Amino acid sequence: MTAALTTPAAPAAARPAGVPRQWRWLARLHRPSLIGGGALVLLAAAALVWLGGPLTDASAAAWKAYNACGFTPRCSYDQSAILLYKDVYNYVTFAVLAVPFLVAAWAGGALVGRETESGTARLAWTQGVSPARWLASRLVLPAVLTVAGTGLLAALHRWAWATGRDRIDTTKSWYDAATFHANGIVPVGLALAGLAAGALAGLVLRRATAALAAAAVAVGVLWGAVHAALPYLWPSVTRVTTLDEGPLGSGLHVGEGVLTAGGGRAAAPCLTSQMQSCRDTLADMGATAFYRDLHPASHYWPLQLVATGILLAVAGLLTYAAFRVLRRTTGTARG
Amino acid sequence: MVDYRIDRRSGVATYVQIVQQTKQAIRLGLLAPGDKLPTAREVVEATAVNPNTVLKAYRELEREGLVEARRGLGTFVRRSLGAAPADSPLRAELEDWAARARESGLEREDVAALFTAVLETHYPEQAAHAASAHTPQGDPS
Amino acid sequence: MTVPALEADALGKRFGRRAWALRDCSFRLPAGRVCAVVGPNGAGKSTLLALAAGLLAPTEGTVRVLGAHPATARPRVGFVSQDKPLYPQLTVAETLRMGADLNPGHWDADTAHRAVAGGDLDPGRRIRALSGGQRTRVALALALGKRPELLLLDEPMADLDPLARHELMGLLMGEAAAHGTTVVMSSHVVAELEDSCDHLLLVGGGQVRLSGAIDDLLAAHTRVTAPAGADLAPHEVVESRTTGRQLSAVIRPSGPLPDDWRAHTPSLEELVLSYLRNPAAPAPAPAPEILEAAV
Repeated sequence: MTAALTTPAAPAAARPAGVPRQWRWLARLHRPSLIGGGALVLLAAAALVWLGGPLTDASAAAWKAYNACGFTPRCSYDQSAILLYKDVYNYVTFAVLAVPFLVAAWAGGALVGRETESGTARLAWTQGVSPARWLASRLVLPAVLTVAGTGLLAALHRWAWATGRDRIDTTKSWYDAATFHANGIVPVGLALAGLAAGALAGLVLRRATAALAAAAVAVGVLWGAVHAALPYLWPSVTRVTTLDEGPLGSGLHVGEGVLTAGGGRAAAPCLTSQMQSCRDTLADMGATAFYRDLHPASHYWPLQLVATGILLAVAGLLTYAAFRVLRRTTGTARG
Repeated sequence: MVDYRIDRRSGVATYVQIVQQTKQAIRLGLLAPGDKLPTAREVVEATAVNPNTVLKAYRELEREGLVEARRGLGTFVRRSLGAAPADSPLRAELEDWAARARESGLEREDVAALFTAVLETHYPEQAAHAASAHTPQGDPS
Repeated sequence: MTVPALEADALGKRFGRRAWALRDCSFRLPAGRVCAVVGPNGAGKSTLLALAAGLLAPTEGTVRVLGAHPATARPRVGFVSQDKPLYPQLTVAETLRMGADLNPGHWDADTAHRAVAGGDLDPGRRIRALSGGQRTRVALALALGKRPELLLLDEPMADLDPLARHELMGLLMGEAAAHGTTVVMSSHVVAELEDSCDHLLLVGGGQVRLSGAIDDLLAAHTRVTAPAGADLAPHEVVESRTTGRQLSAVIRPSGPLPDDWRAHTPSLEELVLSYLRNPAAPAPAPAPEILEAAV
């Protein structure tokens, strides 16, 4: 028996199902993070522009003066410019590489973890936003902003590095670990994987600080794994050199050793047959030549693309897992 | 307008209290024939009582012919409850009797008991509750 | 027959490998009722409400809300959790506006504002600066603004002073009167619920001990006072106590009672307490529900 003297509630079928307008509230809720993150990216970008512009010019001029000195005992050159360039380069590179960790920590802590811990996720789910839609909106918008921000910083880093490459003597080589990653798209893939890891951690752990830590650690582990696997992600090039020359070739090092008479490979006991002791050892082994497996500069982008591809696949898997966990917990009906 | 006061400890069912208070209001002239009773929503918001209870009370009043429900408009008072006007002969007789009772030394409680006994004889109470062997809740034993 | 607002069939929920929070719960709540969910702490009330709200998945059994799967029915259901979660950084006005944005097309701004207005709330105040009672108002406003057909409230009155409790209860009853909303609220304070609720769900130890219309339940039970040592068979005993020369018990009578026994209708609180004091008391057969279903 209904309790109404007036007309009862309209039947469910007549209820219009509008799409909840989430974006505006997502931005409002994470306003401090948006502003903070944006400021960080702008700051880093400004530093990179400063690095690639005035700092590079000053350092290059200093190097030129230094080289022109030759063996002149009293020669002045602007040493502080060189040191400043070096310091700023290191700091900014560190900043670019820190972004994936920050994104992951933020995703685990503020984005998802805090909502599952305080119960505001449940508030959203009972206020017209289905759990799946809730998670999707919290992944898509941050993902777009992350790609934009990280991509910008990586592009600027590459430009800054490239302008200094031929003009500054102590530029890091393209295969130096930090420079390799900061110049390319690996940080973007890593940041996306971190975002997904943070969301998953927040859903599983339901504690903001724990999810924050777990996500940051996950990014570290992922990066370590990708970096360890890096040399093997693309077929390497082998450079064979004579016993006199020793192993030669610059690039991303994969492995080196000696080739034996039987056509096999062995570890190199020493590095040049110009030394008597070495010559004997090599002769005993039956070594015919030195070899070095490496990746030349032309392999930079293939390596970057494969590594990023792996990271994106991991990000996809983590995202799928997050949706699965959500569905299992809340029992969302499907079919 | 009627302001319902529900006394939860009185042992009287809520809907009965609403019926009684409505009747009292009609008797006192606070509600005249043609007046609209407060809607169930209004009563319920003021007293925090279940809407069904109010509807039950209104239905009881309707059954007794005191009110009528007009669909979509509300519930309206149908007739007044005959109250003896201030100058009726019955009232004068009662005043007389009360004065005599006082003179012979009857206390207030004695008069009330006497009156209730006579009332019971002439106006026996209808069974208000459905339960047969049960006394209302609140029995001190 | 109209679709019941809430229907559970052998519903069970277990968290991980621990004990069952709910086991083998079956009940039916018709639409348009105001139902009190009562039980001690840890009995499973919150779990039951979360299952009905589609926030948890049952481990076994089913629960149907407004005739549909809880997840499907979520747009038509309003839920307020026990801790009344709200976004601390938003103001009261922003919170209500968010409610309107998240429920486009079926947001009732008037009801939401009325729920908030009574508490003398400054709409520009942030949620984190509000007291417990004020937060409850805002949380209720969000749930009521959705114009739900079913309202699930987990201990909504816990933080409120008596005046606010009366006022918000009046608001809820007003909603039920105006729109036929089914209201399900869990509470510890049984005495207050007796007037507003017409249906009871007693949960104890993860089981449904009692379920049905309060009038029917009270009519089916009798509190008796008998001389000590009296034999209570063949009536079903819910709870019995002997003090001195007197035996008092709450029973479900199956037959006439001896003349020397005194019989009264128990109050709702007495009934609930007697069931809770004796966890082994048998639950009544669900006959009234089935009869109702046949109507």
